Amino acid sequence: MTKNFKTLPVYILLSVLSLPLVIMYAYLVIDTFTVTTPGSLVPGPFTLHNWRFLWEPAKPGQASIWAATLNTFLFAGGTMLIVLMTSATAGYALSRLRMPMRSFMLAGLIMLHAFPTVTLIISVFLILQIIGLYDTLIGVILVRAALDLPLGVWIMKGFYDNVPWEIEMAGVQDGASRFTVWWRLILPQIQPGLAALGIFSFLQAWSEFILPQVLAPGANAQVLSVYMQAVVKSETQMDFTLFKTIGLFYTLPVVVIYLIFNKKLMNIYGGGTKG
Amino acid sequence: MRRSHLLGLGFMTPAILLTLALFIIPVVLTGVFSFTNMSTSTGITGGAYEINPRSIRLMKDAGLREGLIGDLEENLYKIDAAGLAQVEKDFGKKLAEEMKGAYDGQTFKDRRELVRAIKDLKSRPRSSRDLNKAADLFQKSILNVRYDDESAFLNGLGNLGITLQDGEQAELTRFAYTGWVWTTENFSNMAAMPSTYRAAFNTVLYIAFTLTFNIVFGVFLAVATFYLPSAAASTFRTIWFLPRILPHVLYVILWKWFTWDTGFLSQVLEPFGVAPRNWMMDTEINAWVSIVLINGFVGASLGMILFSSAIKAIPSSMLYASEVDGASRLQQVRYIILPQLRWPIMFTSIYQTLSLLTSFDYIYLATDGGPGSSTTVWALYAFKTALNNYGGNLQYGFGAALALVLVGIGILASVLYLRLFDFKSMNAAPRIEQ
Repeated sequence: MTKNFKTLPVYILLSVLSLPLVIMYAYLVIDTFTVTTPGSLVPGPFTLHNWRFLWEPAKPGQASIWAATLNTFLFAGGTMLIVLMTSATAGYALSRLRMPMRSFMLAGLIMLHAFPTVTLIISVFLILQIIGLYDTLIGVILVRAALDLPLGVWIMKGFYDNVPWEIEMAGVQDGASRFTVWWRLILPQIQPGLAALGIFSFLQAWSEFILPQVLAPGANAQVLSVYMQAVVKSETQMDFTLFKTIGLFYTLPVVVIYLIFNKKLMNIYGGGTKG
Repeated sequence: MRRSHLLGLGFMTPAILLTLALFIIPVVLTGVFSFTNMSTSTGITGGAYEINPRSIRLMKDAGLREGLIGDLEENLYKIDAAGLAQVEKDFGKKLAEEMKGAYDGQTFKDRRELVRAIKDLKSRPRSSRDLNKAADLFQKSILNVRYDDESAFLNGLGNLGITLQDGEQAELTRFAYTGWVWTTENFSNMAAMPSTYRAAFNTVLYIAFTLTFNIVFGVFLAVATFYLPSAAASTFRTIWFLPRILPHVLYVILWKWFTWDTGFLSQVLEPFGVAPRNWMMDTEINAWVSIVLINGFVGASLGMILFSSAIKAIPSSMLYASEVDGASRLQQVRYIILPQLRWPIMFTSIYQTLSLLTSFDYIYLATDGGPGSSTTVWALYAFKTALNNYGGNLQYGFGAALALVLVGIGILASVLYLRLFDFKSMNAAPRIEQ
């Protein structure tokens, strides 16, 4: 702000409070590349030994991490696609099209946006069991996408609301159908919104733990969070270096995506996500 | 119907279908399931009819006629074709035919009775061991035999010669049914169990502490970073934002490493004579501080973002003017910034109360509700009852009843949330008619 105020005390206070997190991040990276000696915080010599789970099973009897990585990509990618397609269409309908029960749907959207969805997990679990989608990636993708949907429609509606009506009117005037206008004229206008929502739902699904753990715990549909938790649970001694290395491998895409798209994402996180 | 109506509804269809299948139906079914006794042992779909040790125990508890329970529990001996064929194989045709002539279709209460009957026959086996063996070939029991429907079950009872007195049939089939049935017991159990009240108390405690931490710390972060140059501010914001996007499993592992008895805190404090210990799970208070901090560090970042953008909206001329007039920093925060944050703070409080009420994954990963059940909040309690019970029997019905309470609160709170919105401006009519 201005020079009238000293910033040093603020720096000191913030640094002290941030110290635990900074230590956690620092040792997350340091420990995975060095030989850690129990009882010492000084990093040992450089090694890649901790990363051996990339070419052999992390524990005897554990599956390879690559199958879980592929599943996580399918899970996050599938969720992202469904969220994008349904939000892009529903957001447009709610923003621009006349239809019966429009205000009812809008009110429902706001309510769903706030509704604590995780309470439904028990009945979703039973429903998936009954219709036979339990322990499949498809089932858990659909559930994850449905949970993201209210936020997605909400955000897309916001982006559509900001597109000038004149673009659409010009298109209709020139004889294009409403569908063509949407596809050829409006969608290009809201590309930033689609990108942000896509990245957001990809990240959410990538980090998701409870849903896959409950709805798809089997080996065929195992995602990285469930895989990592299984490694943690199978340990009697807490081998933190192994956990951290797997965790760093798991979280690397998230951090990279976040650092690149930081600005775009802030809009959505600020728009009110769960937490 | 106009064409744009059709287009609009068509555009809405995927979203409506997905919402219907995974929001509306689950809400309704949570209510339905909560009035059943579904569990691992009853299964989810239909059931069968079977008398087993568990149903015998239940019948005894319910005070059914002792003679009947005795009959069900006892082994009976019934002379039938299958048994006779076996006798023919083991002891020769003669004995089999003689038995068929004398006793076919008869039922004997116990082995001694049947052995005595066989002894009356001419071609009886000599040794008592063989007699017992021959009798055992006719041993029958209704225990642990599954019947697919009620009439098959009653037939089975009749074949064994178990006679029912008036009015016993309905009760017996009810006890023998292995599938789920409608019941209101979940709610009476809920009201009677002390663990319910403990979970409710824990939830209130958890929300109060975590929400306070989130708001106070969120305001602090937003205000503090506001006064720093932008590079430093965004560095600190990134540090505090990362917990929100880190996978939950990893984030909690980092906390465990920090607090474990072989972890960071113990190692740092050891030279100062503090014995290493598990700072997270050592005492109930430690566990509480841990889960509030773990959730609070994540929750504060939401406040930080929302409050930061609210502070940015303050006209800078106001702040300059206050400085010229000699306001100290604290005065500036107190009289200019905080009033501006009133609305975002209210929004964040409602929003986070709702999500704290129902989120349990950080607690589940960190303390798993322990030590004991001291950090088990309501949502975790429901989750563990229905889906994560190491005892083996998952009580879906009871879990659904617990979840129904949260669903009810959720619906009420979302209505409140709807009232807070400027709904009229959102609902502005589309401008193209066609």
